[in-house]
Amino acid sequence: MKKTLNNAVLVLSVVAALGFCVVRAQQPAKGHANDFSSVEYFEPPHQTSIKTRLSGAQAQPQGELLVIQQLKLETFDSNGVPGLVVKAPHCVYDTIHGLASSAGHLRLETADGSSHVEGDGFLWRQTNSFLTISNNVQTVIEAGAKKPTGS
Amino acid sequence: MKKIYLIALLALVGGGWSHAQTNAAAVSTSRAPTIITSERADFDLAERHAVYRGNVRVDDPQMKLTCEELTADLPQSGGQINHLVALTNVVMDSVDEKGQTKHATSDKAVYDYNVVNGVTNESVTLSGNAKVKDGPNWMTGEPITFYLVNHTLHTMHAENEKMLIYQNATSAMVNTNTPVANTNLPVANTNFPPGTIQNIDLMTLPQSGPTTTH
Repeated sequence: MKKTLNNAVLVLSVVAALGFCVVRAQQPAKGHANDFSSVEYFEPPHQTSIKTRLSGAQAQPQGELLVIQQLKLETFDSNGVPGLVVKAPHCVYDTIHGLASSAGHLRLETADGSSHVEGDGFLWRQTNSFLTISNNVQTVIEAGAKKPTGS
Repeated sequence: MKKIYLIALLALVGGGWSHAQTNAAAVSTSRAPTIITSERADFDLAERHAVYRGNVRVDDPQMKLTCEELTADLPQSGGQINHLVALTNVVMDSVDEKGQTKHATSDKAVYDYNVVNGVTNESVTLSGNAKVKDGPNWMTGEPITFYLVNHTLHTMHAENEKMLIYQNATSAMVNTNTPVANTNLPVANTNFPPGTIQNIDLMTLPQSGPTTTH
């Protein structure tokens, strides 16, 4: 339930940003956000630590869906140590079910650059952190990379 | 100086999917990355678990592997893979420090890496029609285990299970399918010229060897 709430907060913040644009543009039906960023925090007792940061070049709502261009999702642990960075040029985010998908390219890499995964076509289930890549999957694991430090 | 060279050499030719070898882990190496490719894959990022499916290929500096399905426990940042399971049409090729190739086929291969009390254990266990071609020699057994740290091959087998060793692909030298259960003798004592088969240790069950099977 709390995770769902967090997701809702994440989505709401993006939607709020969109709403702001809508108000300014006086176009209630077609709002969008440019260069947006939204953060999700851990649950107590780490409520001041950022869990994920979602950013993108553009986000546009289409009903329950959010079409995001140049998606970048960063994850952190409760000590602020960066974990993963996910990048996708194009992505559709289902705000109700917490699903992100695209027929396009995806790149996921560890913050220290020691490993990365790439592929074409993906489905990301936010609720259980489950990622499916449907085509041309390539994982590269570099040897001897250094651990990242907290940000 | 020689010691440094030795450590560097060990780190370089360690084999398997890892770069760390015993106490050589602290030595900086410029090892090429391990690359896993497949048609599709599922990643459980919460549990750090991956399943690759369809024409899976693992390219590692010391080993090439192909199979139809591969599951992996993903390492922490800066870490290395410590558990892999390859399933269906598993084909593995490796080259040891002498440049000798090992070609292995099986239905299943399990790679394990761990360090206990400063001792590195690294192995690949083949099962299901497991066969290894080590230079001119063939070996079958259930299972066959590579110990990658010391470059040895072990097999454990039940009484009635087949285990054959060929010096060449065309001529059978030993067939231990006949009663071997009560003999603890290394089969290599039979007709092989000294040194023909090296680093192959054949054992009979029951045995509580170091092999970890899954």
